[in-house]
Amino acid sequence: MTEPTHAPLHTVARGRARWHRVIVRPVLQRRARVAPAAQAIAFVIGIVLALIAGAMLLWGSGNDPVAVYERMAESSLGGFDALSRTLLRATPLAIAGLAVAVAGSMGLWNIGAEGQMMAGATVAAGFAMVAGDLPGPVLIVLMLVAGAVGGVVLVVGPALARAYLGVSEIITTLMLVEVAIRIVEWLKVGPWKDPESFGFAQISPLPDQASLPGLFGQVHIGVLFAAALLLAFWLAVSRTAWGYELRMAGSSPATARYAGISLQRKVLTALLLSGGLAGLAGAIELTGTATRLEPGLSSGYGFAGIIVAALALMRPSGVAVVAFVFGAVLRGGQSIQTLGVTSSIATILQAMILIGALVAAVLLNYRVRWVRPVGSGTDADATENPASAGASGV
Amino acid sequence: MSEDAVIGLLVATVQFATLVYLAGLGELIAERSGVLNLGVEGMMAMGAVTGFMAAIATGRPWVGFAVAALVGMATAGVHAVVSVIMGAGQVVSGLAITIGGLGFAAFIGQDAVRERADAVFTDLGIIGLADIPWAGPILFDQPPVVYLAGVLGVAAWFVLSRTRLGLALRAVGESASTTDSVGHSVTLLRTSAVLVGGAFAGAAGSFLSLYMAAGWTEGLIAGRGWIAVALVIFGAWRPGRLAAGSLLFGFTLALQPRVQTFDLTIFGLEVNTISPALLGILPFLLTVVVLIAISFRARHRPSPAPAALTLPYRREER
Repeated sequence: MTEPTHAPLHTVARGRARWHRVIVRPVLQRRARVAPAAQAIAFVIGIVLALIAGAMLLWGSGNDPVAVYERMAESSLGGFDALSRTLLRATPLAIAGLAVAVAGSMGLWNIGAEGQMMAGATVAAGFAMVAGDLPGPVLIVLMLVAGAVGGVVLVVGPALARAYLGVSEIITTLMLVEVAIRIVEWLKVGPWKDPESFGFAQISPLPDQASLPGLFGQVHIGVLFAAALLLAFWLAVSRTAWGYELRMAGSSPATARYAGISLQRKVLTALLLSGGLAGLAGAIELTGTATRLEPGLSSGYGFAGIIVAALALMRPSGVAVVAFVFGAVLRGGQSIQTLGVTSSIATILQAMILIGALVAAVLLNYRVRWVRPVGSGTDADATENPASAGASGV
Repeated sequence: MSEDAVIGLLVATVQFATLVYLAGLGELIAERSGVLNLGVEGMMAMGAVTGFMAAIATGRPWVGFAVAALVGMATAGVHAVVSVIMGAGQVVSGLAITIGGLGFAAFIGQDAVRERADAVFTDLGIIGLADIPWAGPILFDQPPVVYLAGVLGVAAWFVLSRTRLGLALRAVGESASTTDSVGHSVTLLRTSAVLVGGAFAGAAGSFLSLYMAAGWTEGLIAGRGWIAVALVIFGAWRPGRLAAGSLLFGFTLALQPRVQTFDLTIFGLEVNTISPALLGILPFLLTVVVLIAISFRARHRPSPAPAALTLPYRREER
């Protein structure tokens, strides 16, 4: 008789209690990779946990959770106008999330999307200042291009450092967020200060024709750009050789090298694309919702985009869904201010959805296996037990 | 420019240095164990608001300080559970702590915004020394937290580099599997390091609300948590260099609100034309430069960064 397979080292049922020698017992075993379906379930669990925790918070602070949630749902999902307001916020979230996901699909973390959005908006606004006489459509297209360029400019340093020196992109991209925001602050009080705003420092307004056309309700055509970009990247990443190489370079650098793929060029492309997309998101936010450049323009969309991408497992389809949900949470959070509840509930809910989903995903990532006692006379190996193979999930 | 202005600048430098040093020291301890915690900003906000509220409720700043450390620890506990115990990604988990912590602090601090700050720290004024010109006000007439930060820094250096616990902590930051194989609990070491880091960040936040700003507003932390993250890298993950770096970063922070009042010319540059916003960029740019310099030097000698930083450890995947 061959030596029976032992329980995995990492088990929940630990210890050397006597019962474990005689009773068939469950152990938790980690799956090799996260299934997208499991991630979807984890996301829903995260939302439910966040709503429960948020309800307790609201109740504890003397609010009626049901009334607050009703208002949030009605103002974000109830009807055409409400949906348009949700989509308005989902648009920058989706593009920023996509930006992070492009880098993430090869295992890179672009933590600086917030800064690249600001850089994109800044370069776009600067372009509008020098070429404010152009007709609307031309000006807007060029501003969006300028936005992408701005994002690339901010990320090119970290990308080169990562590709050729191996400097972690996590910290460098993050540091440049603060740099970008402070540059806009400097522009506001210094060179770009509106000469017509006496005493009150603000940047000169954009030309009138530099605003994205509306689509329906509150939403502008930026939402179509977001949808097109998501589709394009889904095709590129999952259906082309380029995307396959990108994913392989991330998941197995050694294999990629043997296959003749230049890792350095892949790192550069992924990070530059990521920065360009984030810059584009900034320019769309500027031309779509703002009348002038402000230091608070990106208002956390870039950081939220990281959460969106992480929840979406770096997949474009997932980014669309998560961005929509987060857009609804943001819109709902804004609407409840009329009930006297602070909009910070929205940020709390976002963070709690992420944490709940992270924990749920890890738990869903384990499966229960029934392990027979060692040396109990049966040679039925636990791994070959058909009953255990069917017992998936927790 | 007057002597008082220079002394005022240096007094503020020491205080800002204390602020980022405390938070940075906590982050250093966590990172030396291999856990990057990007939640410093959120933990500081949580500490600042709860410490302020506790100090008002009890009338004692030290109670507020202790509460802030405990709340910072609890906030870091979320990061520890998600990233260390569950083994999920440290980067996203830390960002969730920052986003959630800032939101949570804003939520519970709504009413504290209007509170008057009576129960705040006062300057210690060490007898005999505080009257010395220059050194007196700058070094010997500071709030007690300044001296506490110094003591904590020496303690952290001692524990990290001179004790078995510190050796185990540094080892788990270099290679978790090796540390596991010699019988240390990776989870216990890393969780403790993250919790201690959270306590330091929470305490640092309360130094803002209980002394430097003497109040709570929603944007109180204003990026100082990110400066602490930068400082750890700038200080090459060593408590001593962290102190030197914190003085430099503290100087830029103290200079920002004052620079435009200084009537001074250095090498033909009129100091009062320097933009405070551009001055604020300096710590972050310097950190990027240091990171790149470290990578150049790493070709000849080992990088000071903990080798296992951001890598989750799962025993079954060893």
